[in-house]
Amino acid sequence: MDQELLMKQIVEQVMHAMNNGAAAPTAPTGKVTAANYPLAENMAEKISTPTGKPFTSLSYDKVISGEITAEDMRISPETLEMQAQVAESVNREAFAGNLRRAAELIAVPDERLLEIYNALRPYRSTKQELIDIANELDQKYGAKTAAGLVREAAEVYEQRGRLKKF
Amino acid sequence: MKSKRFEVLAARPVNQDGYVKEWPEVGLIAMNSPFDPTPSIKIENGRVVELDGKRRADFDMLDTFIADHAIRLGNAEKAMAMDSLDIARMIVDINVSRKEILDITLSITPAKLTEVVGKLTIVEIMMGMTKMRARLMPANQCHVTNVKDNPIQIAADAAEAAVRGFAEMETTVGIARYAPFNAMALFVGAQAGRPGIMTQCALEEATELMLGMRGFTTYAETISVYGTEPVFMDGDDTPYSKAFLASCYASRGLKMRFTSGTGSEVQMGYAEGKSMLYLEARCLAVTKGAGVQGTQNGSVSCVGVPAGVPGGIRAIAAENLIAMLLDLESTTSNDQTFTHSDLRRVARSVPQFFSGTDYICSGYSATPNYDNMFAGSNWDAEDYDDWNIIQRDMKIDGGLQPVKEEDVIKARNKAARALQGMFRELGLPPITDEEVEAATYANGSNDMPNRNVNEDLKAIEDMMARKVTGVDFVKALDKAGFSDIAQNIYNMLRQKVAGDYLHTASIFDENFHVYSGVNAPNDYHGPMTGYQLSDERWEQIKNIPNAIRPEDI
Repeated sequence: MDQELLMKQIVEQVMHAMNNGAAAPTAPTGKVTAANYPLAENMAEKISTPTGKPFTSLSYDKVISGEITAEDMRISPETLEMQAQVAESVNREAFAGNLRRAAELIAVPDERLLEIYNALRPYRSTKQELIDIANELDQKYGAKTAAGLVREAAEVYEQRGRLKKF
Repeated sequence: MKSKRFEVLAARPVNQDGYVKEWPEVGLIAMNSPFDPTPSIKIENGRVVELDGKRRADFDMLDTFIADHAIRLGNAEKAMAMDSLDIARMIVDINVSRKEILDITLSITPAKLTEVVGKLTIVEIMMGMTKMRARLMPANQCHVTNVKDNPIQIAADAAEAAVRGFAEMETTVGIARYAPFNAMALFVGAQAGRPGIMTQCALEEATELMLGMRGFTTYAETISVYGTEPVFMDGDDTPYSKAFLASCYASRGLKMRFTSGTGSEVQMGYAEGKSMLYLEARCLAVTKGAGVQGTQNGSVSCVGVPAGVPGGIRAIAAENLIAMLLDLESTTSNDQTFTHSDLRRVARSVPQFFSGTDYICSGYSATPNYDNMFAGSNWDAEDYDDWNIIQRDMKIDGGLQPVKEEDVIKARNKAARALQGMFRELGLPPITDEEVEAATYANGSNDMPNRNVNEDLKAIEDMMARKVTGVDFVKALDKAGFSDIAQNIYNMLRQKVAGDYLHTASIFDENFHVYSGVNAPNDYHGPMTGYQLSDERWEQIKNIPNAIRPEDI
């Protein structure tokens, strides 16, 4: 890849990260399928980190020098979308759905993610608390599918008496 | 007069095991309970309004989740209308492909799945496994633990297990606060033995996720689901919280699978009068509906319950087959100790071992039985040669291979020294040369010197507060002069960025090339198809060190 194209890609990644994942992640071009798998070998140039670094630029030496940090060694929403398409190409649509829900959750910080998981456990939250979490996921992180799952849980927990007791 | 024959029989190990007669009313029945629901589905406006004889208004939480997420509705009414016996026959028919079966089985209800596999004998279940498992080649997983939570021993045992062939390794703790040390020791030891092995640490759900996020582990498995709502609540989760948790893992590039098994509901007292297999089919439907790639099932830690009732071991094989019929990675238990009888413990493993599954054991204990912190395993380090020779006898690939003593000693020593160097560079309590030496030659923790536990726990607390991550392991190992192992850890962390190993039934080879149900799908359709042992692999399996060479006689 020439330098100019690389810079353009980095700028695009940064711009996207600034949008805070509000837009639904999309794969670069066309549909990815099992024929492209493993992506680390066959589509390496299309993968980048959530911090905007190309997958092909990651190296052991950069980890040692500190240029690459733990924050860089993470999966991006675009990569998970590509993996979801691979899953669909082999008829695993439920798994693809999980990967898409996961793509939305990349933007949620570790600590908050753990708190939300705990809030979804039985008898932990009131209905309103769950609806507030759903709204947060939806509005703050653009996590529409994950928010849908939390709203669904709020309804079912109410029907089954699994909400926080006052 | 007493019979001397009966006296001898009474003393046999098999008669020290516990057995119980069937009692369907409380769920003490393996499969085909008279109280299991009749399979049914009714769909109105794209919504399931009746599931296995229950109207939507009467659904419990699991029914709702399964109805809304787990069944492909497009083909459901047609598939449900098929005769279960016909579906069962298709499973063992080599002229019906895996894909054709999945088109049916992904569209049917838990009660129907239970009815279908209920028509199969144990041999037919094994034929089904051969065809329906997701990955072409079988593999194996081990447990690496010890009663002292000694990290040097964990690293050495992991390195040995890697040389022996395991593709995945799992640790857990005696003392919960030791978890970070156990996880990092396993990670380093595995990568010292063979690059590309995936490692996990079984803990309480939120802690397990946190360690994964920090790069201490590369996958997770102990995400339990249960077949009735009260037991799910006792497990402190719901299908919704577990589905959310599944997405949390994938969002951090971490592979994960759920865990369930026959017998857990009756053990926890809420089987609702259903057969163990029907309740397990519900667990697997929840797993499918959550969008998880795979499952660890096969009774697992509740094996004593199905093993006590008639047909229980057949039911365990049947539940593995249901996982495969739902296109899930099948990690097939064969772990917890359940019998005093060596004959019984081998027979229990025959279906998965001989048919081949994605992970035959989950896991095989890479330590002596006394060091296994998952309550012992059906297969222990003492059985390594038995496993290898059974592979050789039957010409099957159970994921392991014979090894040379000098190779094992070398690997154990390297892993122990690497952990010693990494601890030093990370400012953790020193690992002495004496400990390295002991771990190199140890069989179990009885051969290991004691560590200062309070000092270790204090250091762990401090390390976690310092926000040490997997990236720091890479740097520390490099500084300590173990750049090859550091490279392997780096390569495992790098895989989380690409996410190829999130897919169904993934494993890595020593070059970090991934094999999964995507690029290595099982294509068995009769004799001489599907996974065939290569000449090279057969050489590896058959060449045990203690075989006499004819030319030497």
